Amino acid sequence: MTNHEHERAVDLVTRRGEDDISTSDQAWLESHLAQCPECAEFAGLTESAGQLLRSVAITANPALVAVTQARVRARAEQLREHQARIVLIAISFCIGVLASTASAWLWWKVGGWVVGRLGLPESIVVPGVLLFWLLPAVAVAVLMLVVPQPLFERSLMLSLAREHEGEKR
Amino acid sequence: MVATAFSSLVAMETEEAQIARGLRRRDPDLLDALIEQYQHRLLRYLLHLTGNRATAEDLFQETWLRVLEKGHLYDGKNRFVTWLMSIAHNVAIDHLRKRSPSSLDEMKDPEDGAPFEPAASGPSPLDTAITDQEHEMFHAALSQVPPLFREVMVLRFQEQMKLEEIAKLVKIPVATVKTRIYRGVMALRPALKGGAQ
Repeated sequence: MTNHEHERAVDLVTRRGEDDISTSDQAWLESHLAQCPECAEFAGLTESAGQLLRSVAITANPALVAVTQARVRARAEQLREHQARIVLIAISFCIGVLASTASAWLWWKVGGWVVGRLGLPESIVVPGVLLFWLLPAVAVAVLMLVVPQPLFERSLMLSLAREHEGEKR
Repeated sequence: MVATAFSSLVAMETEEAQIARGLRRRDPDLLDALIEQYQHRLLRYLLHLTGNRATAEDLFQETWLRVLEKGHLYDGKNRFVTWLMSIAHNVAIDHLRKRSPSSLDEMKDPEDGAPFEPAASGPSPLDTAITDQEHEMFHAALSQVPPLFREVMVLRFQEQMKLEEIAKLVKIPVATVKTRIYRGVMALRPALKGGAQ
């Protein structure tokens, strides 16, 4: 008997019970097992091991299932809130970009009108509008530098800490 | 007969597709139902893999949390149970790597460096379930089988998975699955022979 035949037998023995083993393969295996004591022993051991493994009854504790379901629900809620926050931030960002673009054109016109009314040089329009446009961001940046821990940063850190705590639990 | 097979295939596809859709939505009712449905199979697999009830229960919870977080990655093309077991396999590997720097192939108990095996204190679920001598001998022998072999044996004989499914789940070639089953069965030979006498 060749090694190839033994390998084929081992393959078929490990696949026993699968639907897609052909009847010709089954027949070949039975005839091989009848002639080969080594493969027949392996087949017998595999059968016994399978039966013993299937006979072991392991069940999950109902409390474990309940705790798991509660944890999964809590985490799902957390993830939903997180996703909603991200969507809100994305929408706010888009609105901000659109509003900035629209207001830039408006400020440009307003700046030109003010310069015309006051009789100032036209070269002041571009830096003036830019400064006015960027003023809110500059003011927030200065505020952040002056105040050591701005409120919004603290609340962000608190929410991150809560999330971390929730994960640990 | 062909029509019956086709309709059952369509029904299975629909069920898996429904699970995939529910997981993408993070549907809590679906997750509750899945936890109920697969509780015993998942715990059994984790228990055989880790050999410790407390660890298996921790990993059981971790697995379902990961199912929730990675649910969008399940495409519904394969059986859900195979995907669930692969998640459990990864969770167990992550856990064991955290406990010990060695890989799963060289799994050792980090407490004393002895081969990884069920905790000695208190009867394990296997101990309580197994009563007769043959089963006790088999269980004792099974705990000595390296976890890598034990894992594929459990998936093949207990979960009735195909070799190709196991290969995909454990991320190894089919030939390696067969080798591990062969070596695992042969490692149990003394216990099985003893039980047979």
